[in-house]
Amino acid sequence: MNRILARRGLPGRRDAGQRRITVMAAAVTAAFLILIGQLWYLQVLEGGRFLDASDKNRLRIRPIAAPRGILYDRHGVPLVDNRPTFTLSLIPRELPREAAARDAVLGRVAALLRIPFQELQEAAARVPLDSFLPVRVRRGLTLEDVAKVEEWKLELAGVITEVEPQRVYPNSRFAAHLLGYVREASDDQLRQGRYRRGEMVGQNGLERLLDEYLRGKDGGERIEVDVMGRTVRMVQQNEPHPGAQVVTAVDRRIQEAAERAMEGHAGAVVVMDPRNGDVLAMLSTPAYEIDQFTGTIDRAAWQRVVQDPKFPLLNRVIQSQYAPGSIFKLLVAAAGLQEGTLTPGDRVQCNGEFRLGNATFKDWKEGGHGLVDTHHAIAQSCNIFFYQAGLKISGPVIARYAQAFGFGRPTGIELPGERLGLVPAGRRERRVAWPLGETVNMSIGQGAVLVTPMQVARFMGAIANGGVLWRPRLVQRVERPETGVVYSDPGQVNGHVEISPVVWELLRRALWAAVNDGGTGAEARIPGLEIAGKTGTAQMMAKSKASLGQDHAWFAAFAPVKDPEVVVVVLVERGGKGGQVAAPIARRILQAIFLEKVAAVEVRG
Amino acid sequence: MTAKVMMRFDRRLLQNVDWALLAAAVLVFAMSMLTLANLHVGRAGGGVAWRQAAWFCVGLVALVVVASLDYRRLVRAAPGIYLLGLAALALVWALGRSVSGARRWIALGPLTVQPSEIFKVCFVLMAVWAVTSRWAQPIGANTLLVALPIAAVPFVVIIKQPDLGTALLLFPVLVVLLVGAGLRLRLLGAGAIAGLAALPLAWLVLKDYQRERILVFLDPFRDPLGSAYNVIQAKIAIGSGQLLGKGVAGATQSRLAFLPERHTDFIFAVFAETWGFVGCLVLLMCYVLLLLRGFDIAASAREPVGRLVALGATSLLAAQVLINVGMVTGLLPVVGIPLPLMSYGGSSMVTSLIGLGLLLSVRMRQFQ
Repeated sequence: MNRILARRGLPGRRDAGQRRITVMAAAVTAAFLILIGQLWYLQVLEGGRFLDASDKNRLRIRPIAAPRGILYDRHGVPLVDNRPTFTLSLIPRELPREAAARDAVLGRVAALLRIPFQELQEAAARVPLDSFLPVRVRRGLTLEDVAKVEEWKLELAGVITEVEPQRVYPNSRFAAHLLGYVREASDDQLRQGRYRRGEMVGQNGLERLLDEYLRGKDGGERIEVDVMGRTVRMVQQNEPHPGAQVVTAVDRRIQEAAERAMEGHAGAVVVMDPRNGDVLAMLSTPAYEIDQFTGTIDRAAWQRVVQDPKFPLLNRVIQSQYAPGSIFKLLVAAAGLQEGTLTPGDRVQCNGEFRLGNATFKDWKEGGHGLVDTHHAIAQSCNIFFYQAGLKISGPVIARYAQAFGFGRPTGIELPGERLGLVPAGRRERRVAWPLGETVNMSIGQGAVLVTPMQVARFMGAIANGGVLWRPRLVQRVERPETGVVYSDPGQVNGHVEISPVVWELLRRALWAAVNDGGTGAEARIPGLEIAGKTGTAQMMAKSKASLGQDHAWFAAFAPVKDPEVVVVVLVERGGKGGQVAAPIARRILQAIFLEKVAAVEVRG
Repeated sequence: MTAKVMMRFDRRLLQNVDWALLAAAVLVFAMSMLTLANLHVGRAGGGVAWRQAAWFCVGLVALVVVASLDYRRLVRAAPGIYLLGLAALALVWALGRSVSGARRWIALGPLTVQPSEIFKVCFVLMAVWAVTSRWAQPIGANTLLVALPIAAVPFVVIIKQPDLGTALLLFPVLVVLLVGAGLRLRLLGAGAIAGLAALPLAWLVLKDYQRERILVFLDPFRDPLGSAYNVIQAKIAIGSGQLLGKGVAGATQSRLAFLPERHTDFIFAVFAETWGFVGCLVLLMCYVLLLLRGFDIAASAREPVGRLVALGATSLLAAQVLINVGMVTGLLPVVGIPLPLMSYGGSSMVTSLIGLGLLLSVRMRQFQ
């Protein structure tokens, strides 16, 4: 080699650089000799064995899906579980190469299992023909289906059944919006490059929020199979690692009670702990059936859910905005009392009507409430009193307090798609003066104010706990069996409303009276439990006769009045009056929460 | 065609064309065509061979252009070329097309271009420029300081695509250039240790799933569904070729269909199955001949720039051949590095031929 290198240069006068090049060339040649040695080993020494392997057996890779982590409630009761299910899969490269033969196999499967042929064809066409990873076609096969596939195995080259863990839920609509669902990674998600085709990914709610934790690490095994598809031997196996366990803030018992209480109504319920923001229950009705979404949903069913006029996919707790109705009077009262524009002793003669210029604003009660003071105006929910109070306090001040209480701002709940609600801009941001009519409307929670049920729960929580706005907490901690707690949420205060203790006390007493002393919330009364609550009726814009009387019914409560432990907010869409529709639902939920306390009273009574 | 274009230049240049080098390259290309023509890849059918031939022609034009230019002018222009190359890499981020999760391609009309391939040549030129620049003289620790960032910046960009193979390729080339420039080996060792120490920093930049890919690279059996499978399949294909191969008819297509990337990174396995140990020997000898000519051109160059350009181009080819065949035969972990002149892929083909063009350019001017 030296001779080759030296030929062009002058012999005998090779410099140091040339010597180095010679060494490098020798090193590269030596590396090639190693490659040739390896080829000699593979092809000549071991060639017979590999030829055997290539003729008789084939390797198959079987992914073993890791079970998703379990979601528990605050007491360790599971909210979801996993159950092994059978999945029909195609292995593209083991399907016949010719289109006609392939279609024959797919056609046989379609006939055996009553799956549309087209669906199989599309599934097979989605991936390259030489892919060796199974393509999941249909999840949730019955044992009978599996038996059929096994029976016809010899005619079904490239068709296998696999066992995969799948989510199961207590019942099909249980906490659907909170939990979310698990589906195969969508094409968009595949494009991001994080997921493999056919991987199960949390698509909504907590399943999506915590997907990184919940998903385990899939294992896999390499097996050698013969031409019949029978396992010859296991080459290698990697155990799957299950996902992390999540302890949520939810109380399954309360969640179930809320779902029972809301049965048949469209709307939302939030149960929150005012001491730390824990979301004990959260539901939006009508809900979709989570089961249906899990795995491979057929297209028709998906269309049905998406196009349902009742919007079952919408999480009404955070994604729907409503006028707060009379619940807003609490805020108006708080603003007035704190600013001094309203005093506890202010009295108004309510005769059922209030005139402002040419406009007449009515009370909800025909003939009015007679002489009312602040306390009774809240308890009786007198509109006339608040029309006048609102004008005295002025629109911008009310708007300022609304913002302080967290309206028009996100609650910070860790679910996607939260709406902000709406609070009219303060004086400085407006060019024209605040129209008085708007102030009047806003004083009773109509018109330009929009809120979500979650915001109302936080607001009610602030009244219960003396002004602290907690971020709604859904997850307490995430734990892995090996490493312990990997995530924990200590809770977070994201606002504080400074109002004098006297005012808080007055508000709480008025709310108590609303339920227990002849107020509008009497339907929520439970003997033996001190409940404070406020009704609300959000009027719909009555554009047609049909929509008349289709008001949204609100009820927001906390209990016990001394040292409140829970806030309950109920919204029933098009339910009618808050006191008649929403309050009884809240009572049922509160009854379930304070089961022991209530039972004790009943025994004694 | 080569001759015609060069007529217009200096006749003396033509006398020094390295025909042996060209002959070796054409032989390898012929074997590539033979392999691709008998492959039925995906839904494209037999079209890959023709497209490969078209790319070879494009590459030949590039080779002639590069060979007819004075490499010294190219090296002088290196900083600009290098920045253009970096910009193209950055462009991959902006409008890159993702293939199997990695963003490496840019779509230009019906063609897709892989800038990290073309960048390899830009890198060689820039590295030569840096090592021969006045800041790098005399050769010593300062040379290392000048040269390292030139590899480090694209390394980070390419590794993020993520194209680990190409990123790691930059370093052996740089090392060869530094050795060729006369850097003391002790200094080189110190530089290598410092570079290894900086690796954890790169680790911090990466996202979880990118780290996972790197871990899989280091330990393929971490991902039994991915690269480990390819290696097993490649070994079976190669081994079953035995001494004389199965021949074109005998190489069972169904068998080969088990091999992913069989027309690109794993083409050597297909070749080995078809032509056996004897065929592999012929192919590897062609590469050895080609590379030894490259080293010879470097050794006989009269001035450092020419020597380093030749060394850079040679080491670029050598590293790719050794790593590719090493990984396909199961000696090295699987990284995405094509086999120069063999693997299907326009960017890689053109890049390899430009590399040969650089070698020719140095050879033709060795007596100037």
